[in-house]
Amino acid sequence: MGFKRVPQKYSASINEVTIGVGEKAIKLGGENVKPLYSFDAEIANAPKVGAEITDEGYDRTVASLAAYYEGCETIADIAKKAAAMPGADFLAVNLEGADPNGANKSVEECAAVVSEVAGAVDVPLVIIGCKNADKNTELFNKLADLLQGKNVLFVSCKEENYKNVAASAGLAYNQKICAESAVDINLAKQLNVLISQMGLKPDTYVMNVGSAAAGYGFEYVVSTMDRVKDAALAQNDAMLQMPIFTPVSSETWSVKETIVTEEDIPEWGSRDDRAVQMEVSTAAACLAAGSNAVVLRHPESVATISKMIAALV
Amino acid sequence: MGKFIVIGERIHCISPSIRQAMETMTPDPILKRAKEQLDAGATYLDVNIGPAEKNGPELMQWAVKLLQENFDNVPLCLDTANQKAIEAGIQVYNREKGKPIVNSADAGDRISNIDLAAANDAICIALCSKAGVPSDNDERMMYCQELLERGMGLGMEAEDLWFDPLFVVIKGMQDKQRDVLEFIKQLADMGFNSTGGLSNVSNMTPKHIRPILDATMVAMAINNGLTSAIANPCDVRLMETIKSADIIMNHSLYADSFLEL
Repeated sequence: MGFKRVPQKYSASINEVTIGVGEKAIKLGGENVKPLYSFDAEIANAPKVGAEITDEGYDRTVASLAAYYEGCETIADIAKKAAAMPGADFLAVNLEGADPNGANKSVEECAAVVSEVAGAVDVPLVIIGCKNADKNTELFNKLADLLQGKNVLFVSCKEENYKNVAASAGLAYNQKICAESAVDINLAKQLNVLISQMGLKPDTYVMNVGSAAAGYGFEYVVSTMDRVKDAALAQNDAMLQMPIFTPVSSETWSVKETIVTEEDIPEWGSRDDRAVQMEVSTAAACLAAGSNAVVLRHPESVATISKMIAALV
Repeated sequence: MGKFIVIGERIHCISPSIRQAMETMTPDPILKRAKEQLDAGATYLDVNIGPAEKNGPELMQWAVKLLQENFDNVPLCLDTANQKAIEAGIQVYNREKGKPIVNSADAGDRISNIDLAAANDAICIALCSKAGVPSDNDERMMYCQELLERGMGLGMEAEDLWFDPLFVVIKGMQDKQRDVLEFIKQLADMGFNSTGGLSNVSNMTPKHIRPILDATMVAMAINNGLTSAIANPCDVRLMETIKSADIIMNHSLYADSFLEL
């Protein structure tokens, strides 16, 4: 008997969420098939790739990044250069320096950085908070006001601060928000339920269901994303139909494969190459498992992953 | 497997306020009942207009439009002995949220309702009975096959036949309850969808007893593969049981607030 191919498309679909305004605005989600299964049905919006800078601009200890940003003097210069990476759909500003356990930059200092960045680029903006939920609540409240009308995505709110972030950035300032859970399907759904019960519409938030650098318990990430997309599509679970947003670089730039210098372990070879390899392999795996958007720091990673997406979708 | 489907049974012309609303085509009492049931978690709403011999088509079209316009094209189950009324209802029915359900065909006088469903690309509730309650499961299965052959012969998908095992009343037919459960298992093993009038089970028992009997029966039936029921979604105990069963069967992903969804 001949093989009969039955396209596996679903009547349910992932919500479509728009980030940014004007011609360069992007849409996340919208598909009614499994991740990258463009052979089952047309994928409404290809997954998107973001270029990331931090409140300090970029990591000057990475030679190839320093080479890419050569000549950039201000944060505005760096933002423009990052937004211009071939394959980048949006710009993410990671305010890691706001962490009270780190540089503890004030809300005003961060606002100054963000406002300079926002003035310099016209691509969609994503604000990534620091590791401290309380500080992010303060930070997002100020920045959501500052960036009104720009339809910015705030990453992330968690169980401890979703009420404030959803009420402020989400409801009061009409920005987009991201609900973050740590590789826990039940909590991922619960957080979406709680946010929806606050009155946010389904097309105003995305979720980060958690991630890990490849090799660091990544199989849990895959099974979580798999189960989430299965519930969203096969079971038409409206509380899991949010697009998945994954800040890959925050994971990969903190593992030893990326941090250790070539002087310390010569047999591992170039640190820059390793950093790109970690970003590319993690991002590719996230996209295959279900991410609708990934964030990357290195121009080479952005170029590689965007080419991969273009070839598959 | 998807979530269990509750067809809300409370728009029924046996209720005096609904009967009067249908006679005079007054929207409010019907809209109120519809809203209560949808808020409580019903997926489909049954619209029982009774025999409606005089103005069936007109009444059904009015009811379909009224409910779908007010509740975002809620999917409906058209319930009357008047075939012309069902056809008329389907003509104005919006399929955005699901196919219409024809309620119902049996292997006896009402078998032509299968033809009606087939001709109109509708789902059909297929009672596994001919005249009255079947005496055993062999008889149920015989009628099930008859109905299936008829539907398939007319080009229907098997999934659009929702077989009704006929729930029977505990007070009087207590010894037949396990037969019903066993038959549901047989239907599920063959991959068929199923539904039925759940509240028959607790008929004539005291009001405060009905929820626990209905809830227990539905939990046991879901375990055996029942996919839907015509029931009262405003019964909190019943709905909490159904939602919990959906979790335990892995038809719906658990979240702490699952009872509120």
